[in-house]
Amino acid sequence: MSKPIIELKNYSYRYDNTDEIMLKNLTLSINEGEFIGVVGCNKAGKSTLCKCLVGIQPFVTGGAWDGEIIIDGKSMNETKGEGVSEIIGIVFQDAESQFTQPTVEDEMAFAMCNFGFDRETIRERILYAAKACGLEDLLGRSPFRLSGGQQQRLAVGCILALQPRVLILDESTSQLDPVGRDDIFRLVGELNKQGKTVIMVDHNIEKIAECVDKVLVLHDGNLVAFDDPHKVFADKERMNSHSVRLPQVTDAAIALRDQLDIAADLPVSLEEAVPVFQKLGQEVV
Amino acid sequence: MSDVVIKTEDLVHVYPHGGTRALDGVNLEINKGDVVSIIGQNGSGKTTLVRHFNGLLRPTSGKVYLMGEDTQQKNIADLSRQCGYVFQNPNHQIFCSTVRDELLVAPKNFKFTPEQAKQRLDAVVELMGIGNILDKHPMTLDYTTKKVITIASVLIFNPEVLILDEPTGGLDEVGRRMLSKVIQLVHSEGHTVIIISHDMDYVAENSSRVVMMAKAHILSDSTPDKIFLDADLCKLAQIEPPQISSLDMAISGRQSNVCLSVEDFVKRYAR
Repeated sequence: MSKPIIELKNYSYRYDNTDEIMLKNLTLSINEGEFIGVVGCNKAGKSTLCKCLVGIQPFVTGGAWDGEIIIDGKSMNETKGEGVSEIIGIVFQDAESQFTQPTVEDEMAFAMCNFGFDRETIRERILYAAKACGLEDLLGRSPFRLSGGQQQRLAVGCILALQPRVLILDESTSQLDPVGRDDIFRLVGELNKQGKTVIMVDHNIEKIAECVDKVLVLHDGNLVAFDDPHKVFADKERMNSHSVRLPQVTDAAIALRDQLDIAADLPVSLEEAVPVFQKLGQEVV
Repeated sequence: MSDVVIKTEDLVHVYPHGGTRALDGVNLEINKGDVVSIIGQNGSGKTTLVRHFNGLLRPTSGKVYLMGEDTQQKNIADLSRQCGYVFQNPNHQIFCSTVRDELLVAPKNFKFTPEQAKQRLDAVVELMGIGNILDKHPMTLDYTTKKVITIASVLIFNPEVLILDEPTGGLDEVGRRMLSKVIQLVHSEGHTVIIISHDMDYVAENSSRVVMMAKAHILSDSTPDKIFLDADLCKLAQIEPPQISSLDMAISGRQSNVCLSVEDFVKRYAR
């Protein structure tokens, strides 16, 4: 069993100048190497949680908090977020707005220069990140002349070059076409297999259910569920009452459960669903 | 035909800097009351095409007719009065300091009387359920609500054609359901709705006609189920059918009438 890399203990947070509490008494633990999907409707607290995990909130932008977040064994109440960026990298929704440099290569080097890495390391890391993100042929191109999918891959690459142990992607695929979106899921899936912890906020329930080890469902700042997707999506009523829909195949399996041979878990992906529904298909056609 | 609201003839668009040929001879007719989705990967020409309908872009060659009139003869103000456009990113569209002012931009520009403006404001506020945020600054609202505001700010001037560019991007489930309701309502009032989308679940459930684009051309113009059945076409346009359609095809080997929603699927397979 791997050890927790992120722990929240009774953590609550509210922004300055408001009484509204955005995260309410969250307690959870994420182990190193896990792939976590975060879902919930808007204002559920998903983005706030991401920013709290890297210490942007409350230590940069302010706000009040209670409880604690422990990153790799160190309480942020002590570190005040210092050193977290060496462990966790975050990619935001709008990749383009985070670019500042004239070329892809410079963009990747930017954070490393700020961290004071030496020239040789920077060169090595750029090659590593460019290869991992499929950007080797685009190093000389302006970040602003990339497609949406390439820009998102570059945003991931910039973070990857820092070699964090945890990658957070906050709705990074919402502007992408299906191919661009699948590219990002494939890329982070590969990185996860290599041992990186991945936390991915996304509205695409089908992709989340297919890819992650655990789904974290938030609603109105509260933790609704944090478990294996098969368990989380088995409770349709609970999910729907929190405005989270099920993967289409799971929804269909629940509706037709009496006609299917489901011994254990409900299917949550197309791959799992096809054998479960195969008999029905032969009967109807 | 009198009920054709939009027609393009051999429409070509070449962007001036870099010379990208974004549309290469597109012929399309959209009828009054159609709900049409335009799909295809990033860069296929979808947005370039619809920006010709309200004059944001002009043809390099070929013709575009809106309500039977050649758009070359009309200015953007006239065209956009008939053809409302909701941009993909609400942050690119919102600029007033209250929601109320934002909604009233178009009625003012189109010289509505104060009574007309008030009547339309009340109507969209009720339709979209946004009465409680009229005095808020739009930029303090969450993404879904901003999107709702941008749709309301177009619906308020009651355009004949409503164009929604990637309407579900960044929307949560509540927003998606609300958007479906709005599209149905606008459609039931006889308006034409054009949706550009990557969201195939949404396209399948909300449109009766799908125009598939790839590399500056229209690849196919058909019903959603026919489009999703054609695996080669989907591959070419890099489109992935909704999960439930893929499941239906995989277990039945079906050659027509593919299920487009979970509801369809359950109805078909329930004993």
